[in-house]
This record gives sequence, C-alpha cells and structure tokens, in this order.
Amino acid sequence: MFVEDDESFFNIFSVPLKMRGYEVAHVADGSRAMDAIMREKPDLVLMDIILPGMSGLDILKEMKENLDTKEIKVVMLTNFGNDENVNKAVEYGAEDYYMKYNVVPSELPEKIAILLGETPDTGIKVTG
Amino acid sequence: MEPYIIWLVIAESVILVLVVAVLFHKYEELNKLHRKIGDIKDGRGEQKSYFDGNADYVPIFIHELRAPLSVVRGASDLILKEAASMDADQIHELLVQIRENSDTMLKTVADILDFSKIGSGKFEINVVYANINDVLKEEVASFQPIAKIKKIELELNLNEDFGNFSFDPLRLKQVLNNLLTNAMKFTQEGGKVTISTGRYDHHASITVADTGIGIADEDKERLFKPFSQASNHTKVRERGTGLGLVIVKAIVESHKGSIWLEDNKPQGTKFIFTLPL
Repeated sequence: MFVEDDESFFNIFSVPLKMRGYEVAHVADGSRAMDAIMREKPDLVLMDIILPGMSGLDILKEMKENLDTKEIKVVMLTNFGNDENVNKAVEYGAEDYYMKYNVVPSELPEKIAILLGETPDTGIKVTG
Repeated sequence: MEPYIIWLVIAESVILVLVVAVLFHKYEELNKLHRKIGDIKDGRGEQKSYFDGNADYVPIFIHELRAPLSVVRGASDLILKEAASMDADQIHELLVQIRENSDTMLKTVADILDFSKIGSGKFEINVVYANINDVLKEEVASFQPIAKIKKIELELNLNEDFGNFSFDPLRLKQVLNNLLTNAMKFTQEGGKVTISTGRYDHHASITVADTGIGIADEDKERLFKPFSQASNHTKVRERGTGLGLVIVKAIVESHKGSIWLEDNKPQGTKFIFTLPL
C-alpha cells in the first residue's frame, strides 16, 4: 500500500510494482490511512512523511503500537532526510527509510521483494 | 519511442539537476548571510515582514525541488528501462509528467530567485506606460481552458473609466497569475471566480473573488508570510513553495500599492490590490 499525497509520484512508482504482479492500494490522505491499513492489512506500506491530515511518522507510530498492524512492514519514502526524521522512523519501528530522489522506480520491486523475504521477480502478490 | 526523445528527456533532467545544485549553493550562502544579519540587527525595516533573517529556508526549498525532481527522475527511469513493455499511451503519460514537473521546478526556481531578491533588497520592477485592461483580458483568457475543465465560471468585469497608466505589465501578470491560480485551486466545481476593476481615490483597484472554501481570520495575515499555506487548505495541499503571495505583495508594494483580503460573502475569498494611477 502506498500512503502518498503526490499523485504523480504514486502513478510513476506504482507502475513497476504492478508490472511485477503486486497489487498496490493507494491512500492520499493521512487521516484515512490507519482505517485503510486496518481494513486492507497490506504486507507492506510505503509511507510518505508529509501528508494532509496526519503525518506519516504519526501513522507509523500508531501502526507499530497496534497489535493488529504492528507486524506490517513499513518503508518511509520521503524527500525530507534530516536526522530527526530518520531517528524517529527507526525509533517507531520502520523497516527502512528511502529518500525519494535516490530511488528509481525500476529498483523498487527488488527492494520490496527482499524486505518481504521473497526472491525478486517471483510475482508474489502483496494484498491490499 | 524515438531515441532522440529519450536523449531530450535525459538532457532536460541533467540541466534541471545542475540548475538546482547551483541554486542550492547560492541560496545556502544567502541564508548564512541572513543569519548573520539577524544576529547583528533586530530588524530590517519594511523587509522584516517578508524575510525572517534567522529562518533557515534551505530545507524547505530542497524539499519543494526534490519532489518534482523525483518524478522527473522516476519517469525517465521507467522510459529507459521499461519502454519495451509499455504502450504508446503509457509512455506519453510519462513524458507529460516529465514536462509538467519540469515546469513546476522552473517556477519554483523563479520564485526562490525572486524571494532572494526581496530578502536582499534587490527586487525591482520595470514600469512602463501600458493598458491594464489588455493585461487583464489576456491573463483571464489564459485561465479559460482550466476553468472549463474544472467547470468554474470565470468572469471579467472591467471599469472602462481608466486603462492606461504606469505599471510593470510582466509583474502585474505574475500577480494575476498567482491570484487566479489560487482562486481556481480552492474553488470547487460549479463555483465562480470574478475579476473586477474599480477606481479607489487615485488608485486602480483590482479584485479577484472566488466562491471557494474561504480563509480563516487567523490565517489572513499569515498568508503573506513565507511558507504559511492556510490551515484549512491543507486537505487539498498542492505543491508550491509557499512564496507566491510573498512575491505578489512585494510586486504590489513596489508599485506603491496595497494588497489585502476579505471574505467574499456568503462564501469564498476576495483578494484586492491597488495600484496608483
């Protein structure tokens, strides 16, 4: 699942994931993210930090404190790379932290496959 | 996909990256200078309202430039590596994204440069004798296509008592473009945006009124300060450096005019600015 308010970024970075067979859900409003995560139970969430309604770091914290969602892997994906945000993401339990401008879409499926413990290009689906 | 298109995309991306790098370097120097000034002086007279000498704006500028840059880089990467498995429409959409996000970056760079000139007291206008009605008609016409798409009525009411006087037509277009862009952004389908002119003492007054979501009283003053998008606009947050109205205010005040906003009862916001005749 992508929690991302930038439509252009979501449209582009979801393309290679869909091409590899992943199902990709999208939530653009931070205040609606937790409900969607509880409902969809995705295997992995790609989370922006600056969102309308609720910040990605607050959603991450809530996810990791909730027994129903704490096992869901979370990758923070942002253009804000300051130490404070990275430290908070680590403290709250994010599995990884990518800078958007450092990641290209074609590399994303392999990174996600590794995080999910899959062999890259198996096409195993992420539900949600 | 013609190879030259791919090379054009790559060349455009490289140029943008270089522009951003130079700008970051330049702006970091400017910020250091302003921090020093802020330590020495308590205020900067009139310019204090625009520019906080102690504020570090660089992280915000970096974020606002990285966002479209990530899309340009991502879309180019997909074209280069996945074009063989895409159809023409998908590739066209990626090229549109590259173009639109490149435009966003250029607009952001222009705003940052204007802002740096305002902060350093070097912002200037180029006043010539011109017809304001021509400028208004041209600028409003350029918004008709987007108004049609968004199903917003766009109306221009001109006061024909005056037309020719001395102002900077390019900077006035920039003011109108900014105010109309905001009005269109925050007005829902079926709404209306009205641009009208009037005479106010020895000034021309131009009003841009919308029937959008309105602006809370506590946000009205803040809006003319850097990076202060109104709180009730955050649900429909769109990209932007938050510098637009700062630059608009600087342009109007450089003409020795004024700008303010009012509620557009029963719904929406009115931005009113004056220019001396």
